[in-house]
Amino acid sequence: MERKRSSRRYGSGRYRRKSWGQKCKDYFREFIAFMFSNVGIIGLVVGYTIAGAFVFSAIEGGDTPSAGARVRQLRNDTALRLWDLSCCGLNVFSEETWRQSVSKELEAYQQHIVSFIQDGYDITGSGNRSRTLSFSGWFLYSLTVITTIGYGNIAPQTEIGKVVTIIYAIIGMPLFLLYLSNIGDILAKSFKWTYAKCCLCYGCCDGASRRRALRRHQLALQQPASVGAFIGDDWRVQYVVDTEDEAGGDVAVRIERCADGDQGDESSSSGDDERYDPQTVTVPVTLCLAIMVGYICFGAVLFSEWEGWNFLDSSYFCFISLSTIGFGDIVPGKRVISSQEIQLSFIFCSVYLMLGMALIAMCFNLMQEEVVHKTRTCMQALRSMFSCKRRAQRNFQDEDFELPAD
Amino acid sequence: MRSVGGSGVRSSVRSRGSSSTTASDPRERVKDCCRKLVAFMCTQVGVGGLVVGYAIVGAFGFMSVEKDWKNPQNEIVASLHLNCTSDIWTLTTSEFAFNETAWRSEVDRVLKVFQDGFAKAYKEGYNGRTSDELWTFPAALMFCLAVFTMIGYGNVVPKTPLGKGLTVLYAVFGIPLYVLYFMNMGKVLASTFRWLYRRLYECTEDGVGDRDSESSLPPLPATRIIVPSTACLWVMGGYVLTGTIMFAEWEGWEYLDSTYFCVTSLCKIGIGDFVPGANILEALNSGNQTKLVINFVYLLLGMGLIAMCFNLMREEIRVKVRELKTEMRQWLEDIRVRIISSYQRKRGY
Repeated sequence: MERKRSSRRYGSGRYRRKSWGQKCKDYFREFIAFMFSNVGIIGLVVGYTIAGAFVFSAIEGGDTPSAGARVRQLRNDTALRLWDLSCCGLNVFSEETWRQSVSKELEAYQQHIVSFIQDGYDITGSGNRSRTLSFSGWFLYSLTVITTIGYGNIAPQTEIGKVVTIIYAIIGMPLFLLYLSNIGDILAKSFKWTYAKCCLCYGCCDGASRRRALRRHQLALQQPASVGAFIGDDWRVQYVVDTEDEAGGDVAVRIERCADGDQGDESSSSGDDERYDPQTVTVPVTLCLAIMVGYICFGAVLFSEWEGWNFLDSSYFCFISLSTIGFGDIVPGKRVISSQEIQLSFIFCSVYLMLGMALIAMCFNLMQEEVVHKTRTCMQALRSMFSCKRRAQRNFQDEDFELPAD
Repeated sequence: MRSVGGSGVRSSVRSRGSSSTTASDPRERVKDCCRKLVAFMCTQVGVGGLVVGYAIVGAFGFMSVEKDWKNPQNEIVASLHLNCTSDIWTLTTSEFAFNETAWRSEVDRVLKVFQDGFAKAYKEGYNGRTSDELWTFPAALMFCLAVFTMIGYGNVVPKTPLGKGLTVLYAVFGIPLYVLYFMNMGKVLASTFRWLYRRLYECTEDGVGDRDSESSLPPLPATRIIVPSTACLWVMGGYVLTGTIMFAEWEGWEYLDSTYFCVTSLCKIGIGDFVPGANILEALNSGNQTKLVINFVYLLLGMGLIAMCFNLMREEIRVKVRELKTEMRQWLEDIRVRIISSYQRKRGY
């Protein structure tokens, strides 16, 4: 909110023809503040994830020293039991019964292998290391924890690891939400500015959007909190204001009439006819949805190239990751053999996720107003249906129904 | 919109109380209470019922879609078994049968081949069960819950292309529905909690003599007694503790694992290494079905409690964030002034 106010102050200053030096200084100050409060957040999130990756690789990277030996021991025991079955038992003469008992032994052996694999031991070929996880793998894990995606292909095995995961999540999630709200704000503003520029070119500033812009100014004036990506805030505040609008039906008209004649300090929507604040443009919902779908398809193409999945699997993966569901059945890095490429694919996946969630935050920011407006009209329709029924039931005092809440 | 509905009803009560001095008919009051109750049920419980219904419908849908999928790894493992057994039989009926060490080293080699093949099959997705054993109704219900609450455990996942496409569609419609439920539940629980807190506050104030008569709390619910965030945290902690004990007893997990599961589920992370019902698949009697229903309700209610905490703590958080921003701005101004003054000093030399 302060940022908006300062930019508006700056905007009004521009029309007073400041000196170049003053303008540069102002630019510089804005830039530094921007860097520190927004890029700072990005840096903080990245730093937190890196720190988490270090911590987790230190905690979980320890080799279970006797794992290889235990597997060999298991094989020895199984071989011994099979020998007992085969040489000295009577059932060697009946192939069927022999096969059945051997099958049972193999099943038991299989179960043990499963428990070894679940403990993290990599039983393939000569793999003696218990975890082939590099730093980038733990980086992806930390990122999935704070974004609440939670794939699960990598999970902490030690107790300390689990406790650290809990603490890391509790601290990291609010941080990531802050990152999302900040970045969503910035991206939404830039996008609105670009969209307004394009919109100006085609001259689509007609009366309807101006009226909507004026209404939004009134909302902005009355609401004390910042218009962030917290949907809850804006839903509640907008509703409060709107019921006041409609409670006395003439209030809204009065506001509009005032605004028409008002040469207030709000930047330019009431002043000039040609310019208006680009922040009041509403981006249509279809455009936001198209952006999201486009990003998912883009990611799908990239992952299918890089990982060798088919397009459907890739887009499924992108959608499930970006919606923070994160099953973990398909994850990057499974099919790639060389460790160098695994590192790159993890890093690439992390970057894709961070960028994608920022884009989604931006789209939600942009779609908020439209969606709220549309839902409100829907709900009003429903409510009027409901209130007609209740009006029939009631037999006195209608003044309560002027309040549109029912 | 439902909060406006609630506040609208409340304000209508207020206006009636203030405007009508005529004695309100007790029957009318009762009718109004009933009407309010019905409206409340229709909205809050309606959304809850919609969510549960959506989950149930989704569970049936996914069950029918995924039931017939044949896991190719099952055949691979079956053939591995066969080969291993045949190899050992060959060894037994050959000349090695009388030399124990040689026989055992050969069998060791055969077992190693089996082990590697099985580990590879396990990585590719073998899990010892056919699809229709895996996709029971409780498992499908848990899967649907995991999709629209965005937890996403991943222990049971769709494998068919149709299943994957359906999952995407289900998520696209289910997540907004769930967000609606989340926000509504949060508001309702927050107002209930505030009311409870205020009652408790009044009760404790009662015992302090005539302080109550001086500080007469206004009767309107509009006065905001800010619930301290520590109270919210206590509630959350208590809920996680309940869950820990419950899951530890029922699933046989360690207490730490249980806490880990509760926290990662309630934070919507959903790693999936611990999932209640993973071993319920082995014994499907009605007792375990009840357990799964209780798990489901626990998670849904837990999400509602988190929404409540967000709601209650939002004020505090917003104030704190604004303070932080102004502080940062002050600090930046400070630095800027210092840089400029030092620069000017340099130029002065």
